[in-house]
Amino acid sequence: MIVPFGHVLMLAGVLFSLGMFCALARRNLIMIVLGIEIMLNAASIIFVSAALHWESLEGQAFVLFILAVAATEVSVGLAIIIYAFRRTGSFDPSTYNLLK
Amino acid sequence: MTLHGFIFYVLAAVTVAATVVAITRRNLVHAVVYLIFSYFGTAMLFYLFGAPLLAALEVIIYAGAIMVLFLFVVMMIKVEASEEVLFPRSQWLPAAIFGLIYAVVGCLMIAAAPGAEMSLKLLSATPREFALYVFQSHWFSVEVVSLLLLIALVAALYLGKGQGKEKSKAEGEV
Amino acid sequence: MTIFSGEYATLPVVTTATMLPFVAFLLIILLTRSRPRLSAALSVGAIAVSLGCALFLLGLHRHLEKPIQYTGRWLASSEVQIPFGFLIDPLSLLMLVIVAGICLLVQVYSLGYMEGDPGFSRYYAFMSLFAWAMLSLTVSPTILQLYIFWELVGLSSYLLIGFWYEKFSATQAGKKAFVMTRAGDVAFFLGLLLVLLHMGNLSILEMNGPQAAARMSPAVLTLSALLIFGGIAGKSAQFPLMTWLPDAMEGPTPVSALLHSATMVAAGVYLFARLFPFFSLSPTAMNVFLAIGTISMLLASTMAMVSNDIKKVWAFSTISQLGFMIMGLAAGGYFAGVFHLTTHAGFKALLFLCSGVFIHQYQTNDIFELGWLGARRLKAPVVAIIVAAAALSGIPPLSGYFSKEAILAGLAGLSNPVWLSAGLVGVFLTAYYSFRVIFVICLPQTHATASEGSSHASGLNHEDGRHERQYRTMARPLIVLATITVVLGFFEGPLKDFLIGRPIAAEPSGGGHLAWAQYGALALAVFGAWWAWMEFGRPGAGLVGFVERMPPLYNLFAQRWYIDHFYRLFVDRIIDRGISALCFQNDNKVIDGGIDEMSRGTVESGRVIALLHTGAIQHRLIVTFAVIVFLSLYFFF
Repeated sequence: MIVPFGHVLMLAGVLFSLGMFCALARRNLIMIVLGIEIMLNAASIIFVSAALHWESLEGQAFVLFILAVAATEVSVGLAIIIYAFRRTGSFDPSTYNLLK
Repeated sequence: MTLHGFIFYVLAAVTVAATVVAITRRNLVHAVVYLIFSYFGTAMLFYLFGAPLLAALEVIIYAGAIMVLFLFVVMMIKVEASEEVLFPRSQWLPAAIFGLIYAVVGCLMIAAAPGAEMSLKLLSATPREFALYVFQSHWFSVEVVSLLLLIALVAALYLGKGQGKEKSKAEGEV
Repeated sequence: MTIFSGEYATLPVVTTATMLPFVAFLLIILLTRSRPRLSAALSVGAIAVSLGCALFLLGLHRHLEKPIQYTGRWLASSEVQIPFGFLIDPLSLLMLVIVAGICLLVQVYSLGYMEGDPGFSRYYAFMSLFAWAMLSLTVSPTILQLYIFWELVGLSSYLLIGFWYEKFSATQAGKKAFVMTRAGDVAFFLGLLLVLLHMGNLSILEMNGPQAAARMSPAVLTLSALLIFGGIAGKSAQFPLMTWLPDAMEGPTPVSALLHSATMVAAGVYLFARLFPFFSLSPTAMNVFLAIGTISMLLASTMAMVSNDIKKVWAFSTISQLGFMIMGLAAGGYFAGVFHLTTHAGFKALLFLCSGVFIHQYQTNDIFELGWLGARRLKAPVVAIIVAAAALSGIPPLSGYFSKEAILAGLAGLSNPVWLSAGLVGVFLTAYYSFRVIFVICLPQTHATASEGSSHASGLNHEDGRHERQYRTMARPLIVLATITVVLGFFEGPLKDFLIGRPIAAEPSGGGHLAWAQYGALALAVFGAWWAWMEFGRPGAGLVGFVERMPPLYNLFAQRWYIDHFYRLFVDRIIDRGISALCFQNDNKVIDGGIDEMSRGTVESGRVIALLHTGAIQHRLIVTFAVIVFLSLYFFF
């Protein structure tokens, strides 16, 4: 008997909204990616606790894959950011508005 | 409140606090380091919820590889704190609003979910059982993930290398 | 054709009688505009045939018991059936003869009067149009058909009043006549619709029958009667829609004789007689009609007393006599009203035609000038005008005496003596103003130089031969009408049998007042003539009427009781600056403004939405997360 499942969900929800806030409100491309990582982390917590709740290992397997995908996406994302920085010289996302 | 419950609440508080501090740092390096603390907390949570292998993997991959990658990039490019206003009001206001809406909706949904009051049990999945499960039921996904990593490798190489080629070309012509 | 009884000849004859003038109108307008004599021949020929047909029908059906109706299917929509066709009953037969007869006499007269006028063919075309419309009006079986021809009569009146369209006052007068009668016709149409709603059809026979009382409540009956009377008031120039008739004298004198004395304005009274049983169902409405008739009669008589234009005097007199007729009908005297209509058509047309001869000869309308210029030298018009004025005043044994007695008998039968008193006052005033004109023209005071007058007269006779012929053409109808005026009174008995073979509505019960009223009226008429003699006729008279000695009263009468001023004010202030200004503002600000605002709002909202297109990554991310939140809301709820 650890804790009611709802509490874990709420913790994960808070973490998710913090990550969303970071992705939307920081004027730095790298912080956007950081926010995404926080959101992924929150999702992982939910998966693991859900696996415990339903007593199924499926949730944990999925967290494994989330980890892998997060790694992939961070590396490619950072490579793109460096590329974009070399092209425009700025990390501010509001300067990337050619698609308006 | 049981001991495990108490541990959970402490860990939850640490994680959230570390995350909050992380997203409000102007210096990127500080932000990353605080986030590593957050990931440590998460790893402990994983261990509490009966996934010891995942806890270890979290520390190794997430905190150890991904965040270090961030640090490499930050230090290489010498990202200065270019923002004068950390949170311009036009940006944090809509984000805060949506965050609040999301939080409220989330709480309502959780409260209405049928199984939310049940307490989690104390179980643990040994690495052996976990590995057997993954490779028996989800081996295909493992293969796909490895392919994905290959693609990421190629992409990173290409994006990083393309600059070098252009630079040498320009120098060559001049 | 549905109902069909009587001789086989009736339908073709009545069709010919009504449609032949229309054929003449079309031919003249389309083909013979450039040939005046042919146009006149067509028109006169057509109306002569119509008169023949009308007389034939009158003879054929002189013992008619039930009305004959010929109808064809016209407007049919589930329960509402409005046919077109003809209705033959004693009243319509009598009116047919009157209308066709007066039309023929006036058209013959116009051959002399309008000779040489550039619009000669156009004149006869409009005359035929009027004849068609008026004849069809008298034989209409439904109120709707009657309304259609009512409007057509109004149209021909407008065309004929403004005949000399180069004169601005003539076109103004035509417009005024049309608009004023149209205002009355709006009320008429509303009444018509009310009847249609409650009764399901507009057949006159049904409206006069028991179905009307059965299907319509008393309040609805009164309301529809009052509304239909609005049309009558407009057409017959009763108070308050009476000011168009004096102005209508701008038209040629034969037009005034035909339309605005004998037939068109009588159409209102004819409608009253037509719907007499229907109107009798509502005593309230009949009282209102009585009051309006009385007011018109008295008002118009006072206006006639101070007018110096010969045609305007007879115009006011027409309004007054029409009021008298309406009083008679509203008091319950069906035969009295119709009989006065008949005799009035005769002597009023005669009065106008005589005046026309004077005007044609001396080119002036003023009675004093006509007197000085020696109008009394024209024998036939003078005799005729004296006969007609005597008939108008009610001097026996002329026709006017018998018809006035009939109406006064009806008024005497009413419980309230005020109506009879008003009628007697009217008799006095009528005699006074008609004999005023007679004496001024025939016995002019010679304080204007007579030599001037005679030189004037001789100067006009330079075209002797043509004048003589025109004069003879104009004089013949005068003689015919004068003869009719003299003898018509003695036909009262046969006419009464013909019209009221069967009981129609309440006949006035003659009380003990009857004999008293008879002698009283005669005495008053003679007294009025004597007073006019004292002021205008006798040698050395002052030529100043007793009204003119009281300037405020004189002004009131001369300004036509300021009714025209009131209307001008009303139209200017309330309608022009009030209602139409409001509507104009509404059109600009509300309707146009609304549409403009809508388009401007669309453009502005487009601009606002365009602000979202910033292209910044984080804005798009916000939108993405917002959508996810709302989707979760959707799935949750």
